[in-house]
Amino acid sequence: MIKTENLLKRVEVAGGQLEILKGIDLEIKASESVAIVGASGSGKSTLLGLMAGLDEATDGKVWIDGVDLQQLDEDERALLRAEKVGFVFQSFQLLPSLTALENVMLPLELAGHSDAESRAAGFLARVELGERVTHYPSQLSGGEQQRVAIARAFAAEPVILFADEPTGNLDTETGAHIIDLLFEINREQGTTLVLVTHESRLADRCDRRVRLHAGALVEAQA
Amino acid sequence: MTALKMLLRDWRGGELGVLFAALVIAVTIVSGISAFTTRLQNSLEQESHRFLAADRVVSSSSAVSDSWGEYALSQGLQVANTLSFPSMVYAGDEDMVLASVKAVSDNYPLRGELLRSDQPFAAPQAIAHGPAAGTVWIDSRLFALLDIDVGAQLTIGEADFSVTAAIRSEPDQGSSFLGFGPRVLMNYTDIPATEVVQVGSRVEYRLLLAGDAGALETTVEWLEPRLENGERLLDVASSQQSIGSALQRAEQFLLLAGSLGVVLAAVAIALGARRFSERHYDYVAIMKSLGATSGRIARLYGSSLLILGAAATLLGSLLGWSMQSLFFVLFGDALPVTPASSGPRPYLMGMFTALVCLASFAWPPLRRLGKISPLRVLRRDMPGMAQRTVQDYLVGLGAIILLMLWYSRDVNLTLAVLAGLACSALVAAGAATLLLRGGRLAGMRAGSIWRLALAGLQRRGAANTLQVVIFSMAIMLLLILVLVRTSLIEEWQTQLPEGTPNHFLINISPEQVNPVREALNRKAVLSQPLYPMVRGRVTHINGEALGRSDDPEEGRRERETNLTWSDAVPPNNEIIAGSWWDADSAQPLVSLEEGIADSMKIKVGDTVTYTVGARELSVTVASIRRLDWGSMQPNFFMVFPPAVLQGYPATFMTSFYLGGEEKQFLNQFIREFPTVTVIEMDVVVQQVRAIVSQVSAAIELVLGVILLAGALVLIAGVQASVDARLLESAILRALGAPRKLILGSLVIEFGVLGLFAGSLATLAAELSVYILQTQALDMSYQPSPLLWFLGPLVGITLIGGLGVWNCRRVISSPPLTVLREL
Ligand SMILES: Nc1ncnc2c1ncn2[C@@H]1O[C@H](COP(=O)(O)OP(=O)(O)O)[C@@H](O)[C@H]1O
Ligand SMILES: [Mg+2]
Repeated sequence: MIKTENLLKRVEVAGGQLEILKGIDLEIKASESVAIVGASGSGKSTLLGLMAGLDEATDGKVWIDGVDLQQLDEDERALLRAEKVGFVFQSFQLLPSLTALENVMLPLELAGHSDAESRAAGFLARVELGERVTHYPSQLSGGEQQRVAIARAFAAEPVILFADEPTGNLDTETGAHIIDLLFEINREQGTTLVLVTHESRLADRCDRRVRLHAGALVEAQA
Repeated sequence: MTALKMLLRDWRGGELGVLFAALVIAVTIVSGISAFTTRLQNSLEQESHRFLAADRVVSSSSAVSDSWGEYALSQGLQVANTLSFPSMVYAGDEDMVLASVKAVSDNYPLRGELLRSDQPFAAPQAIAHGPAAGTVWIDSRLFALLDIDVGAQLTIGEADFSVTAAIRSEPDQGSSFLGFGPRVLMNYTDIPATEVVQVGSRVEYRLLLAGDAGALETTVEWLEPRLENGERLLDVASSQQSIGSALQRAEQFLLLAGSLGVVLAAVAIALGARRFSERHYDYVAIMKSLGATSGRIARLYGSSLLILGAAATLLGSLLGWSMQSLFFVLFGDALPVTPASSGPRPYLMGMFTALVCLASFAWPPLRRLGKISPLRVLRRDMPGMAQRTVQDYLVGLGAIILLMLWYSRDVNLTLAVLAGLACSALVAAGAATLLLRGGRLAGMRAGSIWRLALAGLQRRGAANTLQVVIFSMAIMLLLILVLVRTSLIEEWQTQLPEGTPNHFLINISPEQVNPVREALNRKAVLSQPLYPMVRGRVTHINGEALGRSDDPEEGRRERETNLTWSDAVPPNNEIIAGSWWDADSAQPLVSLEEGIADSMKIKVGDTVTYTVGARELSVTVASIRRLDWGSMQPNFFMVFPPAVLQGYPATFMTSFYLGGEEKQFLNQFIREFPTVTVIEMDVVVQQVRAIVSQVSAAIELVLGVILLAGALVLIAGVQASVDARLLESAILRALGAPRKLILGSLVIEFGVLGLFAGSLATLAAELSVYILQTQALDMSYQPSPLLWFLGPLVGITLIGGLGVWNCRRVISSPPLTVLREL
C-alpha cells in the first residue's frame, strides 16, 4: 500500500545543510497498522508528510497504492489525497470559521460526494458528537475537537489514514478514548493506518512499529 | 529585551513594513506638501511686490520731500525714485510722437526685473537696472513710429539721448498703462536737462521702498500722517489675478490631496498596528508568564512606537524635503518667482502628524497587549484580547477630523470629505452586511470554485465587511483626487487655451474701426470684437458728491474709467443682481462690475452721475455683473445701453492673439495705424501658462505619493486576512484541494470584494466631488459617467491583484505546515 525507497530529506539552514531523513526504506501493506516511534525531532512528522505527499523529498521514492508520488505534480498529489488519504493531527487543525458539521463535510465535498451533509452528520454521531453539529471548534473541548477531526478523517472513507501524535495535546484519559475510537473505526473500514506517536502504549496496539533515530530507521519489529 | 532590539527583530521578520511605510508616507505628505505650498506662497508674496517694483510705494502728483527718502534710508530700507509724465519725443526734425516717459533712479527696480531687447521685438532679456544717464530705452513700436533704429538720437524737451535698447516690460507697468502713449525709459538724473517738468504738469512721482517687514512698518507709520492731498501709499497690487487664482486653486487642491493622504496613511497605520499587535500575542503571553508586568509591557511597546515615530519622522521629512526641492530644481527656472524658503514649520507639522497618528491609531491596539492573559501560553486557542472598542473608533475619528481641519484650514473641504467618508462607510457596511451575511450558506462548498469563494465571503462576513469599508474609502479618496485634478486642469486649459488674446489695441478712433478690423482679418489673427470705450468719471452717487479721499481704495473712484456700451451681456460675464436691458433700450441705465459696486457701495436701483468730457450723465444701476478676471478677455467695469452713450466721444479697443514668430506684424500695423496703442501681454500670458503647467506637474507628483498611500491601505487591508487564509488553505490542500481551486476562489473572493468596494467608492466619490466642487473649490460640478465603469474596474483589478499577490504564499508553499504548530 505504501512503499518508500531510500527516502532522503535535506533542508537549508543557517549553518549549511541539515539532513532530516537519511534514506528511509519502508513498506506498509494494505490494512496494516504501523506505529512510527522516536524521540522528538527524530524526523517522524517529516517522514509522515513525505509519505502523504504534503512535501517533496530531496531524493528517493514514495509509492501510494502503486502510484509513484515523484511522478505527480502538486495538484495531482492533492487529488490523490482527496481520494485516498485521511489525516488526524496533533493540533487538530479544524477550520475555526466552520462548524463541526462543516469541518467533517469538507473532505466529502472535495471528493465530490453529493450527500456530504448527511454522511458527515452520520460520522459525527459515530464519534458521539451528534448533538454538537452546529458548534464551532472554539466551543468544543480538545477531546471533542479531536473527535471531530477523526470524523473528518474517516468521512471520505480513505484507504490510508495518517495520524501525527493524535493524543499529544490531550490528557491520558481523553487520549485513551480517542485512540479507542480511532482503532474502532479503522477496523470497521479496514483502513491502512500510519500512526506517529511516542507513547509505547499506543504503539503496542499497532500491528508493527518502526523506530526513527536522528532521521534513520533503527529497528523494526513485528 | 529593549524596545530597539524588538523593533530590529520585527523589522527583519517583515512585521513592521506596513506600519513604518504608512508613518513615513504620512510625514512625507504633510512636510512635502506644506513645504511646497509655503515656499510657493512666500514667493508669490514677493512676486506681488515685484508688481510694484517695491514693497511699498508713495505716489504723488508733486515732488516728494527728500526727507521721506532719508528717513526710509535711516530705517535700513532701500529707496528708489521714479517720475512719469507724457511728453512729445522727436527723432530728427519731422518725426514726433506723444510718449509716456518714465525717469528712474539707478537702483530702480527694488523688486522684480526689467526686460529689454537689443532690437525691437527681439528676444527679451532680464536686467536689474534702468538706462544709464544720457541714454534711453524705448518701446518696440516707437522705433516704427519714429522710423529709427537702435543707436539713433531721440530728443525729449531740451535734451538729446541716444537710444540703446528696446524696453519690453517693467515690473510696475501694470498699474497705469491705459491711456498712455509708448514708453520711453530714461535716467532720473537727466530730468532737469529736459526742462519739460514744470510745476503744474501732469506728472506722477513715486518713492519706492523695500526692505524687511519691521522697518517697512515703522516707515509707513511715520509717513502716513505726513501724506497730503494727491499723495497715496500703495500696497501690494492685486493686478496679477490670473496667476493668483490659478495658484490659489492649486494650493487648495494640494491641501485637499494632503488631507486625504493623511487620512489614508492613518487608516494604513491603524491596520498595520493591529496586525503588529496580533502577531505579538504569543510573545506578550510568554513574557508575562515569565514575570513581565502589564506596565513593563506597555512601556516596552510605547517606547517602540516612539522610536518608530522618530525614525519615520526623520525619513519622512527627508523624503518630503527632497520631493519639493526636486520640484523646484526641475521647474524653478521656469517659474517667474524665486522660490523662498519654507522654514522649519512644515517639518514640525510632519512630526506632529506622526505623533498624532501613533497616539490615536497605533497605540490603542498595542496598549491592550498588556492585558493579554499569560494563560495563553497554555491554551493557545484562548481569545487574544478584548475586541476594539467604540472608544478606539471615536479617538480615531476625532484625530482624523483634527488633522484634516488643522491641515487644510478649510471647514467646507473637511466636511465634504467627511461626508463622503461617512457615506461610503455606512453604505459599505450596510450593503456588505446584507449581501455577505444574509442567509449563511452551509459548509465550505469546496466542490466548486464559485461556491467555495462565495461561502468563504460569507463565512468571513465580519472581517470582509470591515475590509469592504476600508477598501471603498481608500478607492473613494483616490477617485476624488483624480476627479478634482482632472477638472482643475481642464478648467485651466479652457481658461487660457492656445490662442488666448495676448495683445490689446486701444485708442482706435471710430473711423479706424473698419480698417483695423480689415488689417487684423488680413493677417487672420484670432481677434475679439471691437469694443467702444468712452472715458468718464463718477461724480455723484444718489445725488451725493464724492469727496476727495486719502484712502487708496476709494481713490479708485476718482480716476477716470472706461465706459462701454453693449446690447447683450458681454461674454464670460455673469449677472448676479438686477437684470440686463432689452436690445435697443434707450433708457439711462448702467451695469456695474461686482467689485467696483462693492467698493462704491452701490446697489441695483441707485443713481450714478458721470462726467463725460464736459457733459453730465445720470443713469440708474440696472444690474451687477461678475467678471472672469482669469480669462485675459477685455473686461469693463461699466456698461451702458448703446443709445445712452451715443454722441459722446468714443474710441475702440480689441484684443487678439499673435504667436511669437509673427511679432513683425506689429511693425507693419503700427506704421499703418500710428495713433493706435498696442499693449503686449504675451509675456504675461506666457508666464501664466508656464505656471499652470508647472503647478499641474506638482499636482501629478503629489497625486503619485497619495496613490502610494492608497495602495498601502489596500495592502494593509488584505494582509489583515492573510494569516487566517494561510491556515485555511493549508488544511484544504492537505485534505486534497487542488491549487487551482484555492487560487480560483481567492481570485473570486477578492474580485467580489473589489467590485463591491469599487462600486461603493464610485457612489461616495461622486457625492463628495459634488460637495467639494460646489461648496469648497468654487468650481462647477459635472457627473463623470466614465467613473461608473472605471471605479468598479479599479476595485476589481486592484483588490483582486493585491489580494492574490499577498496570498500567493497560500498556494506556493507546501501544505506541510499543517503538521507543525503554526
Ligand atoms: N523546514 C525545516 N527547516 C529546518 N529544520 C527543519 C525543517 N523541518 C524540520 N526540521 C527539523 O528536522 C527535525 C525533524 O523534525 P520533525 O519531523 O518535525 O520531528 P518530529 O516530528 O519527530 O518531532 C527537527 O529537528 C526539526 O527542527
Ligand atoms: Mg512531530
